[in-house]
Amino acid sequence: MNCRWLRERQKNPNRTGPRESAYLQSDGAVHKMSRAKEAALNGYIGSTPSLGPRVNTASPGLQLASTGSYPRIGDPAELQLLRRSISALDRGDRTTADILDAENEMTRRAIAEQVKAGLDVITDGQIRWYDPISHLAGKLDNVKIRGLLRFFDTNTYFRQPVLTGKPTRRGHLVVNEYSFACNALGHLPTPPEKAGKLSIKPVLTGPYTLAKFSLGEHHENGAPETSASLEARAMAYAEALAPEIEALAQSGADLIQVDEPAAVKFPGDWAIFEQALGPLFAAREKVRKAGRKTELALYVYFHDSTPFYEKLVGLPVDIVGLDFSYDAKLADLIASAGSPKPLGLGLVDARNTRLEDPDVIAWQVERLMPKIEGGRAYLGPSSGLEYLPRDRAFAKLELLSKVRTALTGIKGAAN
Amino acid sequence: MSREKLKSLGLKLPLLPTTSVGSFPKPDYLVKARAEFTKGKITPEELLGLERKATKFWVETQEKLGVDVLVDGEMYRGDMVAYFAERLQGFTEGGLVRSYGNRYYHKPIITGEVEWPGPVTVEWWKYAQGLTKRPVKGMLTGAYTIMDWSFNEHYPGRRATALALAAVIRKEVEALITEGCKIIQIDEPALSVRPEELPIALEAMEATTKGLDAYFITHACYGAFEHIYPGMLELAVDNFDLEMSNNDLSLLGLFRGHPFTKDISFGVVDVHSHAIEESDTVRGRIEQALTVLPKDQVWVDPDCGLKTRTVDEAIQKLRSCVAAAKAFRN
Repeated sequence: MNCRWLRERQKNPNRTGPRESAYLQSDGAVHKMSRAKEAALNGYIGSTPSLGPRVNTASPGLQLASTGSYPRIGDPAELQLLRRSISALDRGDRTTADILDAENEMTRRAIAEQVKAGLDVITDGQIRWYDPISHLAGKLDNVKIRGLLRFFDTNTYFRQPVLTGKPTRRGHLVVNEYSFACNALGHLPTPPEKAGKLSIKPVLTGPYTLAKFSLGEHHENGAPETSASLEARAMAYAEALAPEIEALAQSGADLIQVDEPAAVKFPGDWAIFEQALGPLFAAREKVRKAGRKTELALYVYFHDSTPFYEKLVGLPVDIVGLDFSYDAKLADLIASAGSPKPLGLGLVDARNTRLEDPDVIAWQVERLMPKIEGGRAYLGPSSGLEYLPRDRAFAKLELLSKVRTALTGIKGAAN
Repeated sequence: MSREKLKSLGLKLPLLPTTSVGSFPKPDYLVKARAEFTKGKITPEELLGLERKATKFWVETQEKLGVDVLVDGEMYRGDMVAYFAERLQGFTEGGLVRSYGNRYYHKPIITGEVEWPGPVTVEWWKYAQGLTKRPVKGMLTGAYTIMDWSFNEHYPGRRATALALAAVIRKEVEALITEGCKIIQIDEPALSVRPEELPIALEAMEATTKGLDAYFITHACYGAFEHIYPGMLELAVDNFDLEMSNNDLSLLGLFRGHPFTKDISFGVVDVHSHAIEESDTVRGRIEQALTVLPKDQVWVDPDCGLKTRTVDEAIQKLRSCVAAAKAFRN
């Protein structure tokens, strides 16, 4: 664990990285706010337009980013296409090809709404995911999908995987979904100032969280399966996910989000969680050696991350995404200790319909940005948005643009 | 202790009283009528008539089966939180959110001060109780669960929301007691969702029931009880109604470590399985229960509401409960 940077920072809060150092040697707080505005401005209009949905990760600044899921339904009839198609399939009135068409259509709509709201880093909304666990685990060999369990403290449920052997990747998990989303984004009309700057971010549930919510099946003779222990399950999932990281990178993904909400909920398993990230890092290094600039963003949510913040930013991930909705002390800690790497700032509550004041979020961003090494951050919802009704989910995305407007004085695409 | 309370309320129940958790499947004619009502094809009066017909069917069915403490079967309810949110002041209906798979529901939004508009469930309780001499439970959803399963745009935090709702639910409890209801079930399936919030759930239930003269039951299910036991025993109720069969009676291990100090409605049939349990299986579950729990603390019922079963399956599962309980009374 490399927490030296953070420990030194906490001992000597005036010590900063070179970019920030130059900045802080001027005159303090007023410039801190200007710096945030400058960073946000850079993120919005500073990079060179290019063709294709690619992240320009070298461009510092504030980007507006989805954190994963988006509602797959809305109250108007046209937004109930997927639900009605699945119900019709159950009655025998549709085919699986019809479901695929409906998923495609609702994915296009999810992407279009993110673009309309002014986001820079977009996901496919995970419209096709039955849940964050079984969607991936169910595509692996030696995995049976069983009964429903509550997903964290949400009132939504996932199907539990039971491993009958070592879970093994037999083909792409989300690469095809990623490619579809890139294509869908490419066919959307984009505001001129955004041309070439929007990107699709694929999302994977991490190996530890997959393992934590899976069971290992024991043989009838009592001999444990190789996947009976949490550690064995986590490593097996990690080995299955690692080639997916490579495949996503080869398909053009420069930024890949890995969700590990269970890591902060069950910190007693930290060593297993950390070890299971190893194969993912190895995959990243492999694609980097091949010339790609792929970054891994680790996202944690659904629990207070404050007690684990040091350990999280000490991990060799490129970006750490955090849920700020549980404890205000997390923002205070970062404002005090800083971050040695870019952060995902989950400052907009994805679990409640109440809309935050954009000026309050802007104030948080302003005080955090100068403390983030490299001045790069991704402002987004605290978790995926599928826990909200669609109109409120869209309003939360629009809020992100309002925050940027408050920071920069430049109107976002949503306005 | 609770036997004395039942006696003081004038309730004479046998050993291992049988009951059910609340909901029963709606007969086909009622499912169809509810859909037609939504489309405006039938009047509220026509729907009410069919809801009463179905309620009467279930009260009579429970009597015939020999169930000791009855429920009205909730023929007039859909979702257990939305039912109250649609009737209490301070709520707005939210858009659709997903529960799982292809299942969605309208999650309520608290947008103002929650207030009691007058009795919500009392007329239905009076109707059901009027059909039988056996006690019928009053059926409510607890403040903590309503809070947890709603969005909150009005109150400053979760505790404030839960306590505001507790004051409202208490008024409904008082209204039921005024009409003569002696056994009131206040469901808290969200009880174990956030173990760190158990103190809020305890405080809210105390605010709901403290000083009121009734026998209180709470139902909780699909929970991680290992994180809140034995602290959950502080909940201000007399009886915990728990799903036991769905988790292979694993909770008994907790009870061995720390005595279960309240009455328990012990779930002996799995409500998510179409299979009807063999009588030996159900008796075996009660037998195991009695190795850990004193006989006079145990009630017998299904794991959870039976509304997801067919009418026939629900009847057969109730029959299994009653037959097994009777086998242990002598």
